[in-house]
Amino acid sequence: MTGPPPSTAVPPGGPPAAPGAPEPSGTARLSPRVLLIDPIRMLPSLVLPLAGVLLAGGFSPASFGWAAAGVAGSAIYAVLRWATFTYRVAGGRLELNRALVGRSVRTIPLERIRGVDVSASPLHRVLGLAVLRLDTGAGGGEQEGVLDALTAERAEALRAVLLARGPLPAVPGPAGAGTPQDAGQAERGPGPAAQVVRGAAVAAAGAVPAEGEGGGADDPPRVLARVPRAWLMYGPLSGAYLFTPFALVAGAFGLAWQWRRELGLGERAAVRALEWALDRPGLLIAVALVLVAAMPVAGGVTYALFNWDFTLRAREGHLVAERGLFTRRAVSLERRRIRGYELADGLIERRAGVVRLWALVTGLGDARSRGQLLPVTPRAFATGVAAEAVGPIRAPLRRHPPAARRRRLVRAVAPWLLVAVAALLAGWNLAAIIAAVLAAAGVPLAFDRYRSLGHAWDGARLSVRSGSLRRGQVVVERRAVVGWTVRQTLPQRMAGLLTVVAGVGAGSGGYAVVDAGEEQGVAFAAEVTPEWLAPFLAPRPPAS
Amino acid sequence: MTAPLRDPAHPVSRRAIVLWLVEALIGFVLLVGGTAGAAAWLSGARWPPDMLSEHAWLLPVAVGVVMAPFVVLEPLLRYVVHRWELSGDVVYARAGWLSRRWVFVPVSRIQTVDRAQGWLERLLGLATVEIRTASYAGSSTISGLDDEVAARLAEDLARRAEELRDDAT
Repeated sequence: MTGPPPSTAVPPGGPPAAPGAPEPSGTARLSPRVLLIDPIRMLPSLVLPLAGVLLAGGFSPASFGWAAAGVAGSAIYAVLRWATFTYRVAGGRLELNRALVGRSVRTIPLERIRGVDVSASPLHRVLGLAVLRLDTGAGGGEQEGVLDALTAERAEALRAVLLARGPLPAVPGPAGAGTPQDAGQAERGPGPAAQVVRGAAVAAAGAVPAEGEGGGADDPPRVLARVPRAWLMYGPLSGAYLFTPFALVAGAFGLAWQWRRELGLGERAAVRALEWALDRPGLLIAVALVLVAAMPVAGGVTYALFNWDFTLRAREGHLVAERGLFTRRAVSLERRRIRGYELADGLIERRAGVVRLWALVTGLGDARSRGQLLPVTPRAFATGVAAEAVGPIRAPLRRHPPAARRRRLVRAVAPWLLVAVAALLAGWNLAAIIAAVLAAAGVPLAFDRYRSLGHAWDGARLSVRSGSLRRGQVVVERRAVVGWTVRQTLPQRMAGLLTVVAGVGAGSGGYAVVDAGEEQGVAFAAEVTPEWLAPFLAPRPPAS
Repeated sequence: MTAPLRDPAHPVSRRAIVLWLVEALIGFVLLVGGTAGAAAWLSGARWPPDMLSEHAWLLPVAVGVVMAPFVVLEPLLRYVVHRWELSGDVVYARAGWLSRRWVFVPVSRIQTVDRAQGWLERLLGLATVEIRTASYAGSSTISGLDDEVAARLAEDLARRAEELRDDAT
C-alpha cells in the first residue's frame, strides 16, 4: 500500500508526497477531526461480541479479534484517505485530488455547480463538522463532488465561495446559530386557524427587509419561512414515513441475522422461533395491531426528526432550506434556475387544509428531496411563501367541462364494474363483492378528481392541477415551456375533450391539463404562447 | 379532427403505408399466435370450467376476426393523420390513428435533432426525424418521411436551432 501510486486519471505532475501543490495557499485538506468519525462508527461492532457473552454465554475471541482488526483497519484507512485527499478552488474551478491508490483529479467548473448541500449527522455535529455535497446536474451519485468532512465554518465559507463565484467573503457566524425556536415556542396550543395567521405573520415579518425579487449577488440573507414546531403535528397527515415501524422491525431482523453467530443463534433457532410464533396466532395479530397502531406515532416522530426547525432563507441569489434535528441539512437552490413550484396534498391533508411545497428546478438531481421548500404547512402559509420565494399565480383556476366529470366517472368505476360482472359470471362471489365495493368507491373518487381539475394563466405563469388521492398543483413560468403536446384518445374525441401537456425543462418534464374541452385546451396553449400556436389554429367557423 | 387546429401542411411519404402495413401484420401475427398459445394451454389445463377449456380454440379465431380489419385500417388512417409542417420556426406535427397527438416544438428550444432508419425503413427509403428538447413532452418524432425530405428537415432544423438557441431552460 506504500509503493508509488500508478497514475490513472492524470499524468503525475509532481512528487506523490505533495499532490497538486503548485499553489500551496489555495490547496486545503479536509478537517483532521474527520479521522475520528470512522473509528467511532465502528465501535458498536466491538460491543456486539461482548453482548454475545451475556446472551449466549460463549465469548468468541475470534470474532472480537476480527472486530478489533476492523476498527484498527478503518482508522488506518481513514488516515491514509485523509492524508492523500486535497481540494482547492482556483481559476474558476474546484479541483478534488485523490492519490490513495490511483491518482485522480476531478475538476468541476464553478459555473456548473447548481447547488450546494451542507449536511451534518449527529456525530459530525458533535465534532463541529459538516459534509458538503455539490449538485452539478450530472445525475447524482458518483459523478458529483463530496467533501466529507469540513469544519462547519469552513463548509459555510466554501459554500459562499462556490455559489457566489467570487473571492472569499467575510463569513457571518455558523448557520443555524439564530433563534429557530422563537416562532414555535412563542405560544402553543391554539387551533389550526390561529396558527395559519401566526405562520403568515412570521413570513411577513421575514419579508420586510427586502420586497424586490431576489437574484442580486448582495442581497442580505433573510428568512422567508420558519416553520413553527407546533406544525410538526401535521406530519403524519402526509402519510410519509408511515411504514417506519415495519422498517424498524425488518431492520432488527436483518441485524439479528447478520450477527447470528455472535448472538449464538443458528438456523434451527430461527425455525423454532418461527414455529413458536405460528403456534400463537393471537400473539401475531396483537403484534401486527401494535405495529399498525404505531404507524402514525412512529411516522410522526420520524417526520419531526427530519423536518425539525425547517427554515427557508434567501441569500445571494439562492434559496437555502435547512432542516433536521439530529442530522441538520441545508440545501441551496440557485434562484435563477428555479422555474416554478408544486403544491401537493393528499386526501387527509386537504381536509386539514395543509399542503407541501417543492421548487421546480432545471437540471436538479434528486429533485424530490433537494427541491423541497416547505414540509406540511397550512395552505395559506405555503402559497404565501411560494409567492414570495418564486412568484405568485394571480389567476383563478378554470374549470373543465362536465364531459370531463363523466369521463372521470367512467374511468374510476367501469373497470371494477367489469371485473365484478366477470367474477359474478364465473361464480367467484367474494371477488365480485370486492370489485363492486371498489366500483362504488370510485364514484366519490371520480367526483373529487373532477373537482381537482383546473388550469390557469396570469400572463407570466401558468398553473395546472389534477389528482385526488394525491392532488398536485404546479405553477410554472412561461419561459420554462419548451413545447406542447396535445393528446386525444378515441373516447376523449367522442366526449369532445383533449389533454394538453406543457413540456417543461424542469421538474417531471411535462405537466398535463387533463380533459380540457377541445376549444378550451387549445385556446389555453395559444394564450400562453400565442406566437407558437397562432399559425396553426383552424379558422373559426362563421358564427351561425 | 374536431380540435380547433388546422392540418399540418405536408403529408408523409406514401411508402409509409407499406411500412405501417408490414408493422401491423407483424403485430397481428404475434397477437394471434400468442392467443393461440394461450388457448392451447387453457384447453390442456384442468382448473378452468369445462365450458371454457372446450371452446378455447374460439379465442384466437375471435381475436383474428376482430383484429383483421384493423391491419388494413391502421396504415390507411395513419396516412391521413400523420402530417407535419415547419413554419414560423415552430415544428407542428400530428400523429396517431384512433387516438391523436399534436406536437408543437419551437425551433429555439430544440436541443438535438436525430435522423434514424430501421431496417424496414431503409428498404423502403424512409426515415424518422426525432426532435428533442429539455422535456419529453416537448419532444417530437416524425416517422414515415421520405429519406431525402427527412435529411433536409433535420439539416434545416439543426442549422436554424443553432441560430436561434435560447438557453432559458
